[in-house]
Amino acid sequence: MTTIAAVPARARDVLASEWIKFRSVRSTYLTLLLAAVAAVSIGYLVTHSDAAHWSTMTAQARATFDAVGDSFTGLGIAQLAFGALGVLAISSEYATGLIRTTFASVPRRRAVIAAKAAVVGVVSLLAGELIAFATFFTGQQALSGQHLNVTLAHPGALRGVLAAGFYLAVMAWVGLGLGAVIRHTAGAMTAMTGVVFLLPTIVGALPAPWNSDIGRFTVNHAAQQTIAQYPHPGYFSAGPSFLVVAGYAAAAITAAAFMITRRDA
Amino acid sequence: MIEVHELTKRYGSAVAVDGLSFTVHPGRVTGFLGPNGAGKSTTMRVILGLDAPTSGWATVSGRPYQRLARPLHQAGALLDAGAVHGGRTARDHLLAIAASNGIGARRVADVLGLVGLDGVAGRRVRGFSLGMKQRLGIAAALLGDPPVLMFDEPVNGLDPEGIHWIRGLFKSLAAEGRTIFVSSHLMSEMALTAEHLIVIGRGRLVADAAIEEFVRQSSRRDVLVRSPAGGALAGLLSRQGGAVTAETDGGLAVTGLDAAAIGDLARAHGITLHELTPRHASLEEAFMELTQDSVDYRASGPGISRKAA
Repeated sequence: MTTIAAVPARARDVLASEWIKFRSVRSTYLTLLLAAVAAVSIGYLVTHSDAAHWSTMTAQARATFDAVGDSFTGLGIAQLAFGALGVLAISSEYATGLIRTTFASVPRRRAVIAAKAAVVGVVSLLAGELIAFATFFTGQQALSGQHLNVTLAHPGALRGVLAAGFYLAVMAWVGLGLGAVIRHTAGAMTAMTGVVFLLPTIVGALPAPWNSDIGRFTVNHAAQQTIAQYPHPGYFSAGPSFLVVAGYAAAAITAAAFMITRRDA
Repeated sequence: MIEVHELTKRYGSAVAVDGLSFTVHPGRVTGFLGPNGAGKSTTMRVILGLDAPTSGWATVSGRPYQRLARPLHQAGALLDAGAVHGGRTARDHLLAIAASNGIGARRVADVLGLVGLDGVAGRRVRGFSLGMKQRLGIAAALLGDPPVLMFDEPVNGLDPEGIHWIRGLFKSLAAEGRTIFVSSHLMSEMALTAEHLIVIGRGRLVADAAIEEFVRQSSRRDVLVRSPAGGALAGLLSRQGGAVTAETDGGLAVTGLDAAAIGDLARAHGITLHELTPRHASLEEAFMELTQDSVDYRASGPGISRKAA
């Protein structure tokens, strides 16, 4: 029984704790593996198919063919896996009740959210970029048969690849925020699906110009603008779209930080 | 020391804790007793800063828990043994908790040894029995070597050997001068573990006393008398101010007179006694009596209803 002088719980300690939690469960590796397999394999299949059908494509389709964007078709699935990674980082603690032990150890709950956001964010950004580059190179390999492939030196290509990796990290943050606010794995994943699939579909069905006026603010349309070689004219250009994408991460984490101190654990 | 002052916690219109005040002192095991739904777990969560009180306050070592820096060094708690991620190993579970308060791997190994889990430290918690999870939860509570320890229903799921071990652990921790606060809905368990009892029912304080005092205070105290001249004796006792109730087996339950007075009286009138037994309510009966008005769900029927007072 030692009397410890009041040392504030240092951010480093909370980070170390969250890192141990994150690295010590299989779901972390499974979700990242699933994302990598989905992004690379779907990207390869789509680019391979497009290369095979190049001769039968219309002139217009050929003119707007986007060798970078085409290889990232699998992001639609990978984004959900990254979302699940973020959701599980906190919803698993609510599901088991471990969150009470966590908050009893670190009563400053926002420090916990910040540490989780840092751990999830750094790992997701590294993994996301790794997956993005792997996806890009695999896709270009498939396109090279028809000499449709581009290199990273191609204008906008590097930006598109980096943006794809960043988007995956943002999805993990959005998942973390939704998990903290909703506190149930299934509920948070449903909300995640709503944000990335349902919302753009509903907005897309609105009459013009609302479909693009609102659509430019949906996260996956904005992400497409940052990745695509030929941006959709009705939406924001790459720069502002990048801010929209980043805004989703910021909003999700802010909502988590706001709600976390307002409810009983 | 744990202090709870005028604590009230409402969930919507339901009152879980209702103006509760008590102090848990160091150096002894204090039992926190009440029927299921009495507000024990809620009170413990408020003490740990997990639930915000509707009104009132609670402190640990004189400070609100949320203000404690590195709180695991000030207070350890086991609220729910099941609150672990099944896919994590016991060691990783403890390492993560320890790291948040700057506690290293050496202490994690120490507490694993202390609770007897060192052999399974590398196994995933999913495969643990409830008893093993209880031990893991106790290990987590001990990580910071804190002066205050709280355990919510810690004997649930333990085998007899484990229960024996945990009683010894609580007593030795208390002997070191720590504050040990243990909740239970089982009076019999508390009788063997605790020296002091805080009893609540429906969120209100029912009793706050040493175990012996608790029994003494309970109203059911009488003397059982058997005599071949029961009828004569009963009349005699009544005239001397005793209240006599005939038991079904022919004995007389006497209140208002102690055993010595009854014995003297019988001898003075030449009445033979075959039995003269002062009776206290058992702890279990005392508990039932105290909390009878505060049990939310109770089976009806003779098996459960309390004896006539």
